[in-house]
Amino acid sequence: MTLIFAIAAGVVFGAGAFLVLTNDLVRVVAGMVLISQSAVLVVISSGLTRGDAPILPTGDKTPSDPLVQAMALTAIVIGLAVTALLLAIVARVRATLRSLEVRELARDEAEHTAELEQSLDTMHEQLASDEAKEEQ
Amino acid sequence: MTALALALLLPWVVGVVLLLADGRRKLVGWAAVAGLLANLGALIWLAVRVLPDGEQTIVTGGWTDGVGIVLRADALGVVFALLSSLVVLAALVHEVLEGVRSRTFPALVVLLATGLTGLFLTGDVFNFYVFFELAMIAAYVLTAYGDDRHQLGAALIFAVVNLVGSFLFLIAVAATYHVTGTLEMSEVAARMADVEPNAAILIAVTFFVAFGTKLGLFPFHFWLPAVYAGTRPAVAAILSGALANIGAYGLLRFGAGLLPNELELGSTVLIVIGSSSVIYGALLAVSRRDPAEMLAYSAIGQAGYVLVALGVGGPIGLAAAVLYAILNALSKALLFLSGALRGALVAAAFAVGALSLAGMPPAAGFLGKLQLFRTGVEEGSVALIVLLFCGGALSFVYAFQLYQHEFWRGDRVAVGTDSEKGVPAEPSGVAVRAVSVVLALLVLGLGIWPEPLLSLSADAAAVLHGGAVR
Repeated sequence: MTLIFAIAAGVVFGAGAFLVLTNDLVRVVAGMVLISQSAVLVVISSGLTRGDAPILPTGDKTPSDPLVQAMALTAIVIGLAVTALLLAIVARVRATLRSLEVRELARDEAEHTAELEQSLDTMHEQLASDEAKEEQ
Repeated sequence: MTALALALLLPWVVGVVLLLADGRRKLVGWAAVAGLLANLGALIWLAVRVLPDGEQTIVTGGWTDGVGIVLRADALGVVFALLSSLVVLAALVHEVLEGVRSRTFPALVVLLATGLTGLFLTGDVFNFYVFFELAMIAAYVLTAYGDDRHQLGAALIFAVVNLVGSFLFLIAVAATYHVTGTLEMSEVAARMADVEPNAAILIAVTFFVAFGTKLGLFPFHFWLPAVYAGTRPAVAAILSGALANIGAYGLLRFGAGLLPNELELGSTVLIVIGSSSVIYGALLAVSRRDPAEMLAYSAIGQAGYVLVALGVGGPIGLAAAVLYAILNALSKALLFLSGALRGALVAAAFAVGALSLAGMPPAAGFLGKLQLFRTGVEEGSVALIVLLFCGGALSFVYAFQLYQHEFWRGDRVAVGTDSEKGVPAEPSGVAVRAVSVVLALLVLGLGIWPEPLLSLSADAAAVLHGGAVR
């Protein structure tokens, strides 16, 4: 059983990681959802006992470990909140850049850095020429 | 006990209530400041009780011992909680005085402080994850603060990378529960020694990767410069002065506290990664021209020092790691806050921060470097001392390159396309400058009268290696 869980969690994590590395921002978010689900799978599989519902143990069988279920629920809720947040950021990227591509985002940032460097360069040149004038 | 509960509940309630209000109004901003002041007050009250008589514990919800979630305040947690709360407070006051630009900013800062306080004061591994996410989610939103559209890309990268780190942390927590059967930190520490070594090492490595990502250590640093470079100074101060403490605290608590055998086993690896982080961060910081980016690379280097001290270990190494983390947080916050201002005394405040970063005697950073040298001497390793010296020399170079760049050039040309980001030539308000000056005086004061800080860090480190708490 542990092996099945381990393989499932590994496959889900791998699929998530693959999606995170794609070019489409929505897929990146979907990849994060998958990674969070794989963490939930690991949490639920780390239970120490498996058996009856723990809400009312009858004594015939061992109840399942309730603690991991509580942890998994918390993790799911946090995952939901984080997904909503990521989607909100993606929506704002779409509104400002009019694109949902990671490449666009990277290009925009590269341009910004180049502008920054250029303005620093002009500043240096200006300062140098000012100094030269003063010396004259 | 009341202090412990109050330190968490007060900012929590204030944060949630403030989310409903418009944060751009001065009144709301000052209410957030009051909430953080209450949090700081409760933490000071807690520290006064905890430092002399050892730890305080609450089992939440009135459950019996071993069932409920445990909140525990010990010297290490209280020291880090106090430090983070102080830095966040300074950054918030700075931003409120400068003028808040978004509805949610004050509330998010207060919630971030709540998350930080909670994770430093919890005694439960899973609860640590919950508080950690609370702080991180607030931080993801704060990164996008400031109306610069380039910040959105940085915020997205920051969120995605750190979320992967968080989920790895969650997986490690689940694995810890599976092999030890408990989530309570002291129980985990006690049972970890009997765990099968392979499983324990895997868990230790996963924790290390999770916290390394958070701290921005060398192989996991790639997200950090983009994030720091475009944020508002107050947010950058919070990220580097308060949020980065999670990484340092996590490595100390989970490495030295819960998995000491595995830490010892991996000490060479830690020292190597730490050293490469120091050199890489310092070299790139020297080569950068944008001040924020320079400070971001310097943060990578400074994180390396903490890791080196942790790798050396022992009472001296751990105390040095705690001390260095504290001083680095203070000086980084000071540099980010004062770097954006103009006017009398600001340059002096910045110079104090730069001296502290470089480890020059009147400023407190000297103590951190001194303790690191002591660690190196204790270890008897020439290579380590040479490394510390080179790192220190390089940090001296970039710290003063930065000073020259920021304050000796007179009127600066507006950087970037938007004139908003350029620093105004006219002096900033007296009150804003006062915040930086107070922080500078604190750094200077700690350097001139180092005794309390040294004993504090020794106490905090004593919690980890099981030494007697005074």
